[in-house]
Order: sequence, then C-alpha cells, then structure tokens
Amino acid sequence: MNRFDLLKTIQSQLKNKLVICNIGLPSQELYKINDKPNYFYMLGSMGLSSSIGLGLAISQKKNVISIDGDGSVLMNMSTLSTIGNRAPNNFTLLIIDNGSYGSTGDQRTFTSEKTSLKEVAIASGCKKVIECSGKKTASELLKAFKDKKNSYVIIAKVKSGNIKVKPIPLNPITIRDRFRKLIN
Amino acid sequence: MKISKKIIKNLKMGGVNFYLSVPCKLLANMIEILEKDKSIYYSSVPREEEGMGICAGAYLGRKLPCIMMQNTGLGNSVNAIVSLLQLYNLPVIFLVSYRGMPGEQVSAQGGMAKITKEILDTLKIPTLHCSTEKDLDNIKTYTDHAKIMESPVAILCDFQLMKDDK
Repeated sequence: MNRFDLLKTIQSQLKNKLVICNIGLPSQELYKINDKPNYFYMLGSMGLSSSIGLGLAISQKKNVISIDGDGSVLMNMSTLSTIGNRAPNNFTLLIIDNGSYGSTGDQRTFTSEKTSLKEVAIASGCKKVIECSGKKTASELLKAFKDKKNSYVIIAKVKSGNIKVKPIPLNPITIRDRFRKLIN
Repeated sequence: MKISKKIIKNLKMGGVNFYLSVPCKLLANMIEILEKDKSIYYSSVPREEEGMGICAGAYLGRKLPCIMMQNTGLGNSVNAIVSLLQLYNLPVIFLVSYRGMPGEQVSAQGGMAKITKEILDTLKIPTLHCSTEKDLDNIKTYTDHAKIMESPVAILCDFQLMKDDK
C-alpha cells in the first residue's frame, strides 16, 4: 500500500471533517480521488500542515484532521511538542510515513533510517500515539474521531511511491473561501 | 506596564482574539498580561514559522490572530509569510519587538535590526513603526487594514519604547 492507496482507503472517513492536506503529491492525489470543499489543499509552506490544523482545531469545535508526511514533520519537528501540550480533543494528526520525500523524487528521509516519529511524538507529550501499517489506518482513524476526550497522532507506515497527477487547478482564494464557508 | 497594557488594549479593540508568542524580554510584560486574560486565546510557540501556520489555521477558524516575536523571527518566517499567509490572503498581525536599535546592549542583535525594515518592505507588509506612546493609537487602524486587505500587517515596537516599561 502506498500513499495514494491509503488516501483512497480513508477517503470516506474525511466526510464532515475539516481536512488540511500536505503540499505537493498528497494534496494532488487527494484532489484526484475526490475534490471536496472541506479539503484545504496546501500549495506552499512545506512543514506547516500540522500547525494549520492545530490552529484551526483550537479556534472552532468541528473535527480537524491534518494529513501530513514524514518529511514535512521532520522539517517542523517542534510541532509535535506544541501538539503534545496544546492540541484540543477535536484534532487528529495523520502522518503518512513512507520514509521518503515523495514529491521531490522519493529521496529517503531519516524515518527510513533511525528516526521514529512515534517515539518523538510520545517524548513530546502526545498522549495517544498510534503507529500502524497502512491497512489498519482506517480503523485507527475511526477510533480517533469517536474519542471525544483525546487528540491523536497516527503514524501510518506505507510504501514509497506515487501516481501520476497534475498540479491542483484551483485558485488559493477559492480553496480558502469554500473551506472557510463551512465554519461558522 | 503602561506601554504593554496599551498595546494589548488596542489590539483587543481591533478585534485580535488569538495570540501566540515566541518570547523576547521586551514582550515579557505583554505575555504576562495575556496569560491571565481569559477572554482571548494565548499560547507560547517554539518557533515563529510554526506560529505562522497556527495563525493561518486560527484565521480559517474565524479568529483574528496575532503573533508576537522579535524581529529575528521575521527571518525565520519568510517562506511561511509569502507561501501561506500572502498566497491565501490570510490576515495575521505581527507584533514585533525591534531589537538591535539604539539602546540595545546585545551587539549580535544589530544585524537583523539593519535589515528588518527592508525585509518588511520586500515582503510588502504594511508596517506601523511605533517610537512613541502616541504611535500606539494607530494600532486599530492597522488591524482594520489587515482585515480589509486580507493581508498580514506588522506593528514594530522600538527598543527605546519598550525597554523601560516596568
């Protein structure tokens, strides 16, 4: 299972959630599967998917999920300590960990060597940290969304590899406006 | 505390209800005020760039966010400002302590001080430069400007203005 397969598997669970999706191929693949106004596609600022989702979850009550990648979390590692100390119960961080920088040609990241994002998240103060194989992600997500008392960090291990996709044709202001309309 | 109180009062009058800070000794009084204020959200954040992301999310969540930081933090945040806040037209207020200006005792702060205004100009961020207490009266005009233009704005507070605000 690679990232695209995983996104297809979990797509039905993203309904009614506010979704912040990581820059590059993750957003482009999600767009290809099923474009929805509740998807905020990042077009720039690598590393900040978890931060945008966290700010959104703190600011309103709907469930928020940030779809992030191992390379992006490595770039903004302090986000795990902020999440560990400040994340409200309506926030889920899903890290799709394929051990590579998919959007730039599948160069290996440090999670394919010695670094464990699970251990970093736990040491950063995140209480509910789950590492699972890609296939189990859907059931773990379901658990996270049902639990109204805890925020979750889910690290889904998948294989490296991408499908052919095109850049997202939406204007950033369109992405912003249709997304923000869903929030009162 | 007089200056710090006035800055927070004017920011709140402008509708700012979500605050983050990466600490600076010139911001310490404001942080103390915000930590006790239950009518707004406040948290520290480890790094300015990360704070830009959190502020972006807060605006999507219908808040008007402010990030407080030293001018050095602008340097840490350039890509997040351009490729997130400005790309999606997200208003965020930057409250920036102007370290390295006359009165500063730490020589290492001088480098960023020399280029702070150029960075803000290059990024085309409307900036209120506060040298006197009276300048603080314009804060609401700038928070309004941020909302109307859907753009980040900066409030730059001089070292001399802040240093004796005991």
